[in-house]
Amino acid sequence: MPEEMATTSHAGVYATRVIERRELAKDVVLLRLDAPGLAEATRPGQYVMAIPPSGEAAATALAIYEAEGKRISLLFFIMGRRTQELSALGSGDCLSMLGPLGNGFDCSGDPRDAAIVAGGVGIASVLLCAQALLRARARVRLFYGARTRELVVDAQRFRDAGCDVIVTTDDGTLGMQGMVTDALALAPEPDMIFACGPTPMLRSVARIAADRRVRAQLALEETFGCGVGACWGCVVALAGDSMQAPNFPGAARGGSDIAYARICREGPVFWAHELRW
Amino acid sequence: MVRPSLAVRLGSLELAYPTLMGSGCYGSGAEYAPFADLSKVGAIVLKSVTRAPRLGNAMPRLVHTPAGMLNAIGLQNPGIDWYLERELHKYADRPCKIIGSVAGFSVDDYAFVCERLAARDEIAAVELNVSCPNVDREGATFGCDASLTASVVRAARATTTKPLIVKLSPNVTDITAVAREAEDAGADALGVINTVRGMAIDVERWKPRLANISGGLSGPAIRPIAVLAVYEVAQAVKIPIVGQGGIETVTDALEFFLAGAAAVSIGTANFTDPRIPQRIVEELETYLARRNVASLSEIVGKANVAFSTPHQYEGDEG
Ligand SMILES: Cc1cc2nc3c(=O)[nH]c(=O)nc-3n(C[C@H](O)[C@H](O)[C@H](O)COP(=O)(O)OP(=O)(O)OC[C@H]3O[C@@H](n4cnc5c(N)ncnc54)[C@H](O)[C@@H]3O)c2cc1C
Ligand SMILES: Cc1cc2nc3c(=O)[nH]c(=O)nc-3n(C[C@H](O)[C@H](O)[C@H](O)COP(=O)(O)O)c2cc1C
Ligand code: FES
Repeated sequence: MPEEMATTSHAGVYATRVIERRELAKDVVLLRLDAPGLAEATRPGQYVMAIPPSGEAAATALAIYEAEGKRISLLFFIMGRRTQELSALGSGDCLSMLGPLGNGFDCSGDPRDAAIVAGGVGIASVLLCAQALLRARARVRLFYGARTRELVVDAQRFRDAGCDVIVTTDDGTLGMQGMVTDALALAPEPDMIFACGPTPMLRSVARIAADRRVRAQLALEETFGCGVGACWGCVVALAGDSMQAPNFPGAARGGSDIAYARICREGPVFWAHELRW
Repeated sequence: MVRPSLAVRLGSLELAYPTLMGSGCYGSGAEYAPFADLSKVGAIVLKSVTRAPRLGNAMPRLVHTPAGMLNAIGLQNPGIDWYLERELHKYADRPCKIIGSVAGFSVDDYAFVCERLAARDEIAAVELNVSCPNVDREGATFGCDASLTASVVRAARATTTKPLIVKLSPNVTDITAVAREAEDAGADALGVINTVRGMAIDVERWKPRLANISGGLSGPAIRPIAVLAVYEVAQAVKIPIVGQGGIETVTDALEFFLAGAAAVSIGTANFTDPRIPQRIVEELETYLARRNVASLSEIVGKANVAFSTPHQYEGDEG
């Protein structure tokens, strides 16, 4: 098998079935799915491309929130047409998806004291990461920011798993008022940071990590086309010598040593210090 | 019941299935191999390659729009030298035909890249993506000018005997004029159509949604534009047409065949569901069998009056 194909050897098209649909808050939906094969192959930080049952729009990138036994769950905010359509699914309905996709978080470095930073829907990408770190006996602090109290969904799930949960809300209706990165900046230094959320939050996490000389892994989000590395619609600039930089010369931007990597294929998780954004 | 034949010919290029995977939408095929059976695909058209490496446009490069999407990737590619040395050999074991795609910014660019690409055994045919600005003539798009298109085709034709597919831009006043020039200049087949120019604006930030401002619209939104273009081009030329633009189902594909396309290309639909190309091929077989049609070629142009009686253009209604 050519090397380029080997990287996605577990990936495939999976026909899953909805076992449970729960509304965690207004416009926030949790779908629990029977997904044999897919569930077992999933690593923390990976995602699926969910195929809209109507066939009338591009597939949607969604993080794999939980993966246990033969089941996975997806947690998503209703943002537009495609997530609207997915939110209409109920128990027993079929949902086909491509997955598991992307490189995921590297939880192997044996961090003793990990900080996970999640903003808004970014929470969906970090539960598996938290669980893996806890299994490796790390201390895990979750810094979880949302706009308002109602949008802090499923925090108890992380507490039950064994995380220390620090909540922030923009309006102060729950936890500390302010940005989640303010809480991170004030907290004792972790030895590794894992983060997923809106781009401004991730930039801020990257700055804090640089200031404190802590390594950080960021799960990026962008508008995807194919979601599988075929269209080059989802790139981010990396240092040219990054292990994740695609090995090709189109990389050099204006003579500087920068490479555009595909968020869907080389990512979605990147080392903060290698991003040139 | 005998199985209808779906095999098609584009010049000397023989394909087992009438489906091409659109340039820029299917990578090299490896990206889709886990999700689709590449042996049920006619050919994969590779991402367009240029003479020099290109980093491509800044982000955002994509916007989802009603019934389609806008893209402005900016032809990110490693350049022809690196491509030949380090990439192309990996495609040799694909179970379908591989068509190279050439983009350029001067007539000489096209000839240079086409010659090198076509010389390789992995490449069964070459598609010319003429939807690029000509740097020698103040950025006029090659494909929007019949004589410029002809120059590109002649220059490329001189470098190879392999089949040449010229992919026409719909962003023109009269696509048939460009089609005729391309045919006269030596094209073996025509791709009809490439993406339609468009833009989207973010009303919160008062800015264009694409970093490049404008982009190419693809998907079902452009299908009626594409069907008409195929219909008209089919009346203007004798060479086969690869119909494309928003094909998602067998019905969509049939519209193109009936308008006069010999084959179809599927791009954006792969982003919806990579199983679509195989589904189309299977349902096409069923459709033909149900009508006792032995070969797909028998229905090409069947809805096009020019294929039976001389056509008289009477103007659009409404
Ligand atoms: C790797 C990855 C993992 C992800 N994981 C998750 C996850 O676990 N959960 C989750 O909820 N999301 C996740 N996302 C984001 C998710 O993919 C998108 O929210 C989803 O695709 C939105 O699709 P949609 O059709 O519903 O919305 P879209 O129609 O695409 O809209 C998305 C946003 O753009 C705005 N918008 C769209 N068009 C316009 C316009 N014309 N003018 C103004 N605003 C406009 C919408 O209002 C909305 O805010 C992930 C993304 C990636 C890349
Ligand atoms: C993301 C994207 C990238 C594309 N890149 C190229 C390209 O490099 N060269 C080219 O000739 N066409 C390119 N196209 C055009 C497609 O090959 C196809 O002709 C067009 O999208 C219409 O067909 P569709 O609606 O089935 O996608 C691209 C289209 C998309 C959506
Ligand atoms: S979305 Fe197509 S390459 Fe990433």
